[in-house]
Amino acid sequence: MSDRIVGMSETDPEAVLTCDDVREMAGAFVLGALEPSEERAIRAHLASCADAHEEIAELGGVLPALAEIVPMIEPPPALKVRIMAAAAAELAGREGARAPAPSSEPIAFPTPSARAERDALRGRPSTGTWVLRIAAVLAIAALGGWNLLLQSQLSAGQAYEQAVAQVLRSASQPGALTAILSADVGTGSGLAAVSSSGDVTLAMQDLAPTNGDQVYEAWVIGGDGTPVPLGSFKVGANGTASFTAGGLAATAGIVLALTREPGPGATTPTLPIVTKGVATAG
Amino acid sequence: MTQADQPLRIRTASPADDADRAVLVRLADGELDALEHLYDRYKTMAYSIAYRITNDPTLAEDVVQEAFLGAWRNAARYIEGRGSVKTWLLSIVHHRAIDAVRRRRPTTGLPDPTEAAVPAALTMPDVWAEVSASLDGDTVRDALAGLSDVQRQAIEMAYFGGLTQLEIAERTGTPLGTVKSRMRLGLLAMRRALDGASR
Repeated sequence: MSDRIVGMSETDPEAVLTCDDVREMAGAFVLGALEPSEERAIRAHLASCADAHEEIAELGGVLPALAEIVPMIEPPPALKVRIMAAAAAELAGREGARAPAPSSEPIAFPTPSARAERDALRGRPSTGTWVLRIAAVLAIAALGGWNLLLQSQLSAGQAYEQAVAQVLRSASQPGALTAILSADVGTGSGLAAVSSSGDVTLAMQDLAPTNGDQVYEAWVIGGDGTPVPLGSFKVGANGTASFTAGGLAATAGIVLALTREPGPGATTPTLPIVTKGVATAG
Repeated sequence: MTQADQPLRIRTASPADDADRAVLVRLADGELDALEHLYDRYKTMAYSIAYRITNDPTLAEDVVQEAFLGAWRNAARYIEGRGSVKTWLLSIVHHRAIDAVRRRRPTTGLPDPTEAAVPAALTMPDVWAEVSASLDGDTVRDALAGLSDVQRQAIEMAYFGGLTQLEIAERTGTPLGTVKSRMRLGLLAMRRALDGASR
């Protein structure tokens, strides 16, 4: 689309405008009703003119008032999910881009106090916390009618979403703790909720499938640093898992972790930790 | 009285403005809860404006999403003293919505690939000294009702319809110079009426 000569029929729109030209076009300018070439010409004039052209600010200041007369309509709840998810993904990309190289330090069970220290140093909620909050919104939207869970043949992603929804139903209860589990070695990440009554619900994805008698054992590590087994589960080819157990002390700062064990009933974890996260009230 | 004789009234910051600016600082730092706060506070106005202009719920959602993400990415570019955060944000919504309807309108033609797809002003719009924040919808409607029919029509076609002055001239069969005058004089009359109402 070439620049059309409009609005200034006798002049080239890219030509230098006089102050009178600008004053004449001020209304259309603030309303955004000019052609791009005309708008550029006005901006060029304003950038170099000794006159402050207060008429531009005077007329433009009316525009916010026009917004006041628009009939109010509530946006659908799903829009918030979309926006927050897009922002979280962008932020995760930014943080990923400046993440340090993987550490070669030996793997150890983290203690709650060590994690609390790190969190205190961070000074604000982690992206992971936000992923959970966004997922919580997603789950609420699902309960409100989003048809996330009704397909009989669930893909890995859908199976995970279903597991997450289960976690978040627990997480939305008063006094619940939540945790983001991230992989220490290999892959495997997920979410967990610990209800105030001590039930833990876990949703995992990207876990390596178990073979034969192999299981993933879930552990809780309290303030004394001793891992306590919660129970075990197998993982199929889609890499997702949903797991529930009871009997925890719902104390902020406890660590939830998974190890891969040769069979069910482990009483001490077989290192390395596959994935872990700290339960917080956030 | 000429325009030059009358000083421009600039509204003073309210506590809500101060709170919004604090949110914007956190937004510029990339904090997601600041984005959520801003969204919760202005989602209804933002969506309503986008819907009024696009008349399309899906397009309106896209506009609001682009606007809030744009505000999140460009929070550091907000210039204090050039309008409230609310005005800045809703201006972004308005410009995005206008851009969306212009792209959709076949008479506007396809964007020139050699030219920036979205003018700079539409990406991050200008914000001008606004009239008092205490004005309610009725006051604004009264001010608009006080205009001549043709002035009101020109302003509404531009602000809510996203039409250019040339398109308005064509649709109303009015000389371009007349459309230009109607916009300027109509906005000026509104400014006077709103300034009077806010005194």
